[in-house]
Amino acid sequence: MSRKMISLENVTRVYNQGRPNEVRPVNEVSLDIGHGEILVLKGPSGSGKTSLLALVGCMIRPTSGRILVAERDVAKLPERFLTGVRRDTFGFVFQQLHLIPGISVLENVMLPLYPLEIGFTAAKRRALELTEQLGLTHRKGFKVEALSGGERQRVAIARALINAPQAILADEPTAHLDAGLSGELMQIFETLRGQGKTVVIATHDPLVHDSPLIDRVATMRDGRILDGDG
Amino acid sequence: MGSYHLGRHLKILEFALSSMLRRRTKNLGLVLVFAALVFLLSSIVFLTGALRTEALATLEASPQLLVQRAMAGRHALIPLGYGELIARLPGVGSVTPRYWGYYYDIYTGANYTLLGIGDQGLESPGSTPLRLVEGSFIMPGQRRVCLIGEGVAEVRGTRIGGMVSLRDARGWMQEYEVIGLFASPSRLLTNDLILLPEADLKAHFGMPDDRATDLMVEVYNPHEVDNISRKILERLPDARPISHAEIQRTYETLFNWRGGLLLAMFLGAMAAFMILAWDKATGLSADERREIGILKAIGWETSDILELKLWEGAALALVAFLAGVTAGYAHVQRFGAELLMPVLEGWSTLFPAIDLAPRIDPYALGVLFSLTVVPYIVATVVPSWKAAITDPDRVMRAS
Amino acid sequence: MILHPGILGLLITAVLVLGLVLYGAYLGAIVLVRWDLDSSSEEQLALERKTYLLSTLMGHAMALEILSALIFLYTLEDIHAIFVGAMCATGTLNANPVGWWVLGAKILGLLFCAVWIVLNRIDQRAEDYPLTRLKYGLLLLLAPLLALETWLLFRFFLGLDPSVITSCCGTLFSGSGAGVGAEIAGLPAFPLMIAFFGGTAVYLAAGTLNLRQARPRLRYLLAGLSLWMLGISLASIIAFISSYHYELPTHHCPFCILQADYHYIGYPMYLTLFAATFYGLMVGIAEPLRRVASVEGVIAAAQPRWTRLSMLLFGLFVVIAAWPMVFSDFTLEGYY
Ligand SMILES: Nc1ncnc2c1ncn2[C@@H]1O[C@H](COP(=O)(O)OP(=O)(O)OP(=O)(O)O)[C@@H](O)[C@H]1O
Ligand SMILES: [Mg+2]
Repeated sequence: MSRKMISLENVTRVYNQGRPNEVRPVNEVSLDIGHGEILVLKGPSGSGKTSLLALVGCMIRPTSGRILVAERDVAKLPERFLTGVRRDTFGFVFQQLHLIPGISVLENVMLPLYPLEIGFTAAKRRALELTEQLGLTHRKGFKVEALSGGERQRVAIARALINAPQAILADEPTAHLDAGLSGELMQIFETLRGQGKTVVIATHDPLVHDSPLIDRVATMRDGRILDGDG
Repeated sequence: MGSYHLGRHLKILEFALSSMLRRRTKNLGLVLVFAALVFLLSSIVFLTGALRTEALATLEASPQLLVQRAMAGRHALIPLGYGELIARLPGVGSVTPRYWGYYYDIYTGANYTLLGIGDQGLESPGSTPLRLVEGSFIMPGQRRVCLIGEGVAEVRGTRIGGMVSLRDARGWMQEYEVIGLFASPSRLLTNDLILLPEADLKAHFGMPDDRATDLMVEVYNPHEVDNISRKILERLPDARPISHAEIQRTYETLFNWRGGLLLAMFLGAMAAFMILAWDKATGLSADERREIGILKAIGWETSDILELKLWEGAALALVAFLAGVTAGYAHVQRFGAELLMPVLEGWSTLFPAIDLAPRIDPYALGVLFSLTVVPYIVATVVPSWKAAITDPDRVMRAS
Repeated sequence: MILHPGILGLLITAVLVLGLVLYGAYLGAIVLVRWDLDSSSEEQLALERKTYLLSTLMGHAMALEILSALIFLYTLEDIHAIFVGAMCATGTLNANPVGWWVLGAKILGLLFCAVWIVLNRIDQRAEDYPLTRLKYGLLLLLAPLLALETWLLFRFFLGLDPSVITSCCGTLFSGSGAGVGAEIAGLPAFPLMIAFFGGTAVYLAAGTLNLRQARPRLRYLLAGLSLWMLGISLASIIAFISSYHYELPTHHCPFCILQADYHYIGYPMYLTLFAATFYGLMVGIAEPLRRVASVEGVIAAAQPRWTRLSMLLFGLFVVIAAWPMVFSDFTLEGYY
């Protein structure tokens, strides 16, 4: 296994601290994620997979513990800078895909670049490259609601890749896909790993966590990782 | 400051415009209400501005010093003897009595100004620079004729050779033949003007022979006007000297007051609109909320969303502003501010058609902007911020 | 009180700005008390998010201050016809002398807002937000200043009475009269010209030196010089620059140049002068903050930029101001 890319040390996330409805979706988790591996987080519903993914991807800050991204502790970084780290490092694929209806495939793919200091033409060029890689060229001007499920899935992946992230984080990516499309998706993830990217998938879909393509599975229960470094 | 990239702002602006277009039906209502408000306000500002310019143009031509007589706090006829006294003051040139008065016409419900023309005709010092459009002036000694302004001609439906009948002080109808039509650089004060031979005018109002309506005083040195006014007051305590500057101020205040009244009405409307704007900005629809959530999740930062919202607000306000100002301009320019007439009525029944110079006044636009766009933008700050601080991980849990 | 759309616009804008800044100061006070960057609590996150609102509020306040400063000047100009004796903004200000205080408060408020915004931008570039306390402390000072400005503005406009006979630039800046304005107008033109053009040369030289050598003393010098040049420039405008624009040796008004008759030349003149002063001052104001490690780099990068901007703007100001001295037939010679 290559160098550590992301490293979590005793990370805890508490909601509603000190109140009767206090929850700890992530509790004292330590986890190392290397460069160029496919890691699956599995576990029953409510075990904290999504929360852990959000912590890894710098979407939320931990209540305690350290999170190192490229050797840098980001646990206490103000939101403004945390977003910067997230933009530079991660691409997200969500369970519901969350594409924006009413605008074209190309615009959806370009969207993460809008707030960055990149010219419009350069952004468009990158988006065209990615739509081509993912076989969407013939659909690039379509509104997303006119696409099939598989095509939408690929638009979401193109969008996650537009900022050239080192890691792709996917939350239940196969939840709405049939077996065929799920297999296709795993192929795409494997290609990405081939390009040196790290892929972290949170899922309880056996098609994913039993797939031969993945490197490692971490099982979660009640906010803890059971057999972390398996 | 810092490394600024225009591309970033342009892209966010582009997205703001495209997302507003996607929701055009939702925004349309707001734009319309906003534009209507801007329309109302710009009509008021343009109208009062135009009236003021008109009035000031007229005043340019009015006499340096006008002396009236006040009795019981009201304007009274002035004895000609006063004129002789004033003429003896050092620094005073000629003193010319003026004969004029108001006439209320029950048939048209209009107020006319009747002005007597003496033997010097219109060339007398300080009189209004009237320009004859058609016909001829009143000759010395000529009686029972009149000249009318274009406004009067329109209302009365008379032309040259026609008759104007006026009821005199004894209640008898008198007929005057129209021998000329005139115009002046400003239509404000001459539109309701009828010129009569001086003798006819005095007979019409039943004025005593030794009285005039007021006196026009020529002052050699304009800087001496105030001094001479003071001297007149010392000698004639019931005289009321009105200097050029003073008339000017009266007009200014009058127009500002009229305009102010209208503005006060507008303020109420604006307050209501602010509440609407706040409400609209706060009540984001479910899919707008979702969209902001997605943007945050894919790497947009709070300040990016704030910028997006600011652009949206600015675009909406600008569209409404431009539409409202254009409509307001057309309203005043082309349609004589018809919708505002009910408020201005009673002030001058024969209201002149207004010639708004077709020019863009940055000051008026700045003032309009500060009264409309600024409050709107301020009203949307807090709602925009509330939308912008959506948790980025929210969409990961939305079902 | 005179009801005039411009006045109404100014009063409304002033109330809005005050509202923004008071709300900002309130949020700032909360942040000041509770701020703890080491904490990962939800409260700290909420505070961090409030800083976005604060920045937006202040940004808007600043933009409105600039807009309202321009409208204020123009309104003074526009309503002078109401007052007997007034020929320009000077007459309006004299009609209710509170106006002079409003003018002063406006300039101060604008400068203060601008400094705050620049500090805020510097602060936001550092991950540890090192200027937080300074910023919000300043905000607590700025709020009363703006409250004062608003109060003065209301007193000024509500107290304007059309029946007041006022005196205008002819007496206030008469060269032979009494009072500060007259004394400045009466300053001997030739020595002041030397001070003005000599000062300009010194200022530009100090700027160039700053760009060549990175020495703290030079930066403080530049800031000091920028203030000094503001004073000299204002005096020069009254004493001789305006006369050249009017082509009248006895006319010394700093406001008539704002009129259409003189192509509104006063607006670009004052804008460049005040912007140049602001950037020059900023070089010195930011200097002590370089001791804070996390913003040292940001400030070090910004200072040369401010220096260049200040030199450029000041040069522009001098060109606009001195234009008629070079290109018109009118001279003050014989009036020295
Ligand atoms: N913002 C929040 N406020 C309060 N509780 C939360 C919040 N986010 C997550 N939780 C709680 O944390 C627990 C873990 O949630 P999480 O979404 O991480 O689980 P999951 O493993 O992804 O579940 P699923 O498989 O159903 O997606 C849940 O009980 C959830 O209710
Ligand atoms: Mg989940």
